[in-house]
Amino acid sequence: MMSRFREIAAVFLVAAILYGMQRTTPLYSEITSLVPAYGEQGKRIDARAFAFAVVNVHLARMVRTESFGRTQDFTTSGVWVLIEGAAEAKRESLTLTTANWLGPSGISYALSQRFSILPGLLPNQRLEPGLPKPVLLAFEVPESEVSGATLLVPRNYMTPLDEEIRMPVTNIDTNAIHAAITLKRSTVGLPWILETE
Amino acid sequence: MMGDVAPRERRHYWLSLAALVVILPATVLASSWDSLMQWRANHYRIQISVERQAAQRYAGADWKLSELTRLPGGMPEESVVLVEFEAAVDDPAILSKSPCEVALTDEQGRIWKPVFLTEPIVRELHPEAAEKQGCSNFAFEGSSKGSRITMAETFTVPTAAENLALSVTVFGALPDYMLLK
Repeated sequence: MMSRFREIAAVFLVAAILYGMQRTTPLYSEITSLVPAYGEQGKRIDARAFAFAVVNVHLARMVRTESFGRTQDFTTSGVWVLIEGAAEAKRESLTLTTANWLGPSGISYALSQRFSILPGLLPNQRLEPGLPKPVLLAFEVPESEVSGATLLVPRNYMTPLDEEIRMPVTNIDTNAIHAAITLKRSTVGLPWILETE
Repeated sequence: MMGDVAPRERRHYWLSLAALVVILPATVLASSWDSLMQWRANHYRIQISVERQAAQRYAGADWKLSELTRLPGGMPEESVVLVEFEAAVDDPAILSKSPCEVALTDEQGRIWKPVFLTEPIVRELHPEAAEKQGCSNFAFEGSSKGSRITMAETFTVPTAAENLALSVTVFGALPDYMLLK
């Protein structure tokens, strides 16, 4: 009698395990999603193919670009997040074409392409092994998505199981949003000059 | 319960279990065989190492690295490397049809791809090289047996990089590729 009861219990247990496994099966896209490489703001973060570091994070209501004698104003109903950093390829020349600002609500914002002609912008900067290059990233996000965000920099989104740098943006002063930031071309040192107002 | 089972049956049971150890990996291998072969075709390469100034037969031509020039780059730690190389065409069929890829490598195995725009310093100091085309099937379009194609590519590398060599891959000649030292 006891062994019969045990057999029935075993069948139920197996059924419960199988049901649980069926419900929690990850999607193929999740299994092959990017492998995160975590790092801190202000420090060099190493992935296998590239390294990345954030130097400054600026917030502004407006971005003004001055390029070849032409001035343009870029207003926003949210906030501009401008990130000055450095990046380096490690094994092979590459270009980092994308980056995302993952807000605290879980919404992800892609790089702004509104002033794509400026030198030094991440997708414009060809990275070579052994030569760290200054890079500039610009995001346009709602004010509520500024604090508690994470910066995501993947090598690309195409290759399964490729790496993605994830850096929580911890050092950011949400009370100091500049009225305007001016970006100019520069021929010496950094490829851009950033002036706050 | 197990006491009722005949020893023969029990042996079959363990044999079946042991067979799983072999059969499961074999199944995985059999079902992924095509992908494995595809991966091998994409990644398997045989290097043909060529010493400086020597000519090497590859993809229907005789290749030679004629000049590797280091020029100052935009930053102190940066060098511009101009590589001039040539191919004496013997059989234009492969060359004019398949893509050609070049890269600069160093002793640490780092790989630099050619720059998109010719560096200003190359145009200034080596204008004749700046006019030369890169390695591509266009370079060989219309070439015939006996013609000599001169090519040049520019790279940006750290000044500290040593033992630079040019790797040339013509896709029609895979898995072979050349490393011109």
